[in-house]
Amino acid sequence: MTDYIEIQDLSVTFDAKGRKVKAVEGVSLCVDKHKSYGLVGESGSGKSTILRAICGLAPITGGTIKIGGEALPSPRGKSFSARVQMVFQDPYASLHPRHTIDRTLSEPLMIHGIGDTDSRVMKALDDVGLPKSFRFRYPHQLSGGQRQRVAIARALMLQPEILLLDEPTSALDASVQAEVLNLLTRLREERGLTFLMVSHDLAVIDHICDDILVMQHGRAVEELSREDLASARISTVYARSLFDASADRLLG
Amino acid sequence: MTRMTQWLTDPNPTSRHQARIGQVWLAWIRLRRNPLAITGLTIILILFAMAAFAPLFATQDPTTQDLTQRLLPPGTRGHWLGTDDFGRDIWSRIVHGARITLYIVALVALTAPALGLLIGTVAGYFGGLVDTTLMRITDIFLAFPRLILALALVAVLGPGIFNAVLAIALTAWPPYARVARAETLTVRSSDYIAAVRLQGAGSARIIWGHVMPMCLPSVIIRVTLDMAGVILIAAGLGFLGLGAQPPLPEWGLMISSGRKFLFEQWWVATMPGLAIFIVSLGFNLLGDGLRDVLDPRSAAR
Repeated sequence: MTDYIEIQDLSVTFDAKGRKVKAVEGVSLCVDKHKSYGLVGESGSGKSTILRAICGLAPITGGTIKIGGEALPSPRGKSFSARVQMVFQDPYASLHPRHTIDRTLSEPLMIHGIGDTDSRVMKALDDVGLPKSFRFRYPHQLSGGQRQRVAIARALMLQPEILLLDEPTSALDASVQAEVLNLLTRLREERGLTFLMVSHDLAVIDHICDDILVMQHGRAVEELSREDLASARISTVYARSLFDASADRLLG
Repeated sequence: MTRMTQWLTDPNPTSRHQARIGQVWLAWIRLRRNPLAITGLTIILILFAMAAFAPLFATQDPTTQDLTQRLLPPGTRGHWLGTDDFGRDIWSRIVHGARITLYIVALVALTAPALGLLIGTVAGYFGGLVDTTLMRITDIFLAFPRLILALALVAVLGPGIFNAVLAIALTAWPPYARVARAETLTVRSSDYIAAVRLQGAGSARIIWGHVMPMCLPSVIIRVTLDMAGVILIAAGLGFLGLGAQPPLPEWGLMISSGRKFLFEQWWVATMPGLAIFIVSLGFNLLGDGLRDVLDPRSAAR
């Protein structure tokens, strides 16, 4: 099977008042179609920046990103939106506070000129396990887990092939975390989605991902498969320390 | 009534309309808890009623002159606020003047914030050169004292109410642009804007549908607090003879004509002055109350 998402030697440099800040340096990774790929690392290791770079929200200063063998256009354009969508970390910040759930979910349909809004919105709510009566609520009338479900529903409105997940559960309670992770796993199986997921928590990544890239200080440290993780075949010290930190939950 | 409130506070609204009206209802409940804001709202509603039904409230025709009745003190039969130097009933003139005041306030409230909001959000959203250019233009307008700039504009355009409104609107927008830009800067890097951009939305859609609703509350608050200033500038232009022209019963013009008799017949200038004071106070009180209701930072969400 060919590589679906192909990132070669990616570098992202932010310009902070004349000072160059290298957020990502020479990272390469490949994700197969219908697979789930995890990026792990501490805060500031550049893992979220890679997702933002794919979306065109961070300045790429070197390397290439290809999806399905094609280089991405810049600016990304509507055909990209229909293929790649993202779920953000903080469900309290990623939904517009003055738009109803209905507006949030129907906006992508309006942008892309897709009709049949009513039934699509209803179906989207149903797919993520939210009652239909929530349709005209505002985000402040929902809990964190419910909001994240709305964010996932929004990302799926355009029926993308790839879902970028930026720590989708780190802002949620442990019990709600599991629900959202199960929802994501179910949706991936149903729709054949490709996931690129970021987390600082190996336990979360292990639950969902087939392959893992460990990152530190903007560089790739080690690439692991799920089998490596299960049999604790870890070669670098840093990846080992991350593994040890969450080992009790991994094996439990 | 209870079924009505139940419909308004339904946690699961069944239509877009119901959701929006429900939010307005909740805002009204918050506003109702603030007695000062309600006082301000009452004053403004009375002003509206006076303007709408001016012929009913007025006891005389506001422009009929009767030189035998000139400069009568307040409390005279038939002229409870007295008469001015042409024998016109001051109460009737104030009532009819409410129309002119409201006309000015409404026009300025519609035009200046719209212009300021547009310039501020565009500058804040795009940043860079667009931001620098638009904000320097704003700075130039802000650097002039407002009344002087309005004076210069009216001098060029010619006196009259409409030109006065135009002059006030053209001088009133920069603060709104500043407020809107500041709000835009806090909003534009948020995740919900990134999300809608990722869905392929264009700049116009993002600014209009996503950025502006977030800037609107602070601009609305600013407008109500500025309304007192607008009334005063309109009155100032009228006072200087550059706004409304005689015999229109504009409040500033009335003060101006009473100036000559200020020591002997104080009521001629004082009564319209009191009207300006009360209406300005009303707008300020309402503005303060609206800040508590609309400001997303203070409201519990």
